Amino acid sequence: MLKSLTIIFLFLILGEFVNYIFKVPIAGNIIGMVLIFLALKFKLIKLEMVKPASDKLLKYLVLFFVPYGVGLMVHFETIKAHWFSIGLAVLGSTILTLYLTAFIQEKLQKK
Amino acid sequence: MKTFLSLPVVWVFLTLAIYFLAQGIHKKVKWALTTPILVTIFVLILLLSVFDVDFGTYDSGGKFLSFFLGPSVVALGVLFYEKLDEIKSNLLPFCIAVFVGGIGSILSLIFILMALKAPEILMRSLAPKSVTTPIAIEIAKSVGGVPSITAGVVIAVGIFGNAFGIYILKFLGITSKTAIGTALGTASHGIGTARALEESELSGVYSGLALCVNGLVTAIVTPLVIDWIFA
Repeated sequence: MLKSLTIIFLFLILGEFVNYIFKVPIAGNIIGMVLIFLALKFKLIKLEMVKPASDKLLKYLVLFFVPYGVGLMVHFETIKAHWFSIGLAVLGSTILTLYLTAFIQEKLQKK
Repeated sequence: MKTFLSLPVVWVFLTLAIYFLAQGIHKKVKWALTTPILVTIFVLILLLSVFDVDFGTYDSGGKFLSFFLGPSVVALGVLFYEKLDEIKSNLLPFCIAVFVGGIGSILSLIFILMALKAPEILMRSLAPKSVTTPIAIEIAKSVGGVPSITAGVVIAVGIFGNAFGIYILKFLGITSKTAIGTALGTASHGIGTARALEESELSGVYSGLALCVNGLVTAIVTPLVIDWIFA
């Protein structure tokens, strides 16, 4: 677990480093995600070396988002003025996006 | 009491405890409204309001939890590798679905706001509502939106997708795990993906990839659509 967690953080650091050096507009963690994928694909590291920590992290992904959700309270005032338009548009558009995406994927993919 | 409540550990503990209890409730009462993230956020905001604690104080503890989003995103790369073969066979349908869904998200949002005669600034702020917060904020800035409106709504969209997405899709007759994953990632980014992962690993992989691809699609298409509509 310690080894796999260290390797995950190594790739996170690498991602942040690439972001820092090249000033690319992509977050360091996303770059780290691509790098660890490539490292696995080109057999620089083995799946067993990272799987224990990565499985645990993904298991608690929802929990890590909670503080962002609580942060919604900061935006209440800004959104309040137009709550009806925003609510209706976001609700309608999100449901449409969900269905449109799922429908196309389900129709086109191999069974 | 006020000083005690400003200790970071209080809010780390309460977040963990409430989330733990919320999970227990959701196991017994499987409603969309009892989705753990929804219940936890609601109870925490309620507590903060009752005790008159501001978000900054909460986040002095909360940030220790959200910090783990960084390595978790890296962990998604591991999951992509593990499920590579299962994605390969469906790569083209997947890309078409995310592309159409992503553009549909931008257009439908703008058209509904137009029909409601909402101010233009809302369209500029909310067009990237389906993609992950950091990308959405950059897009909103580049098309003249207000980042704080974007940030709030993007998170709300994620929570909505997390809590209701699966129920809505099943109600509309979608059964495929891969399609549910792709839809959650495209429409409600990381917070939706977290739910897809709970549903099944396969849904989680499609969702995680969809959030990446749609981040890219939305970043490219939003400025074009905004230029085209407000030219």
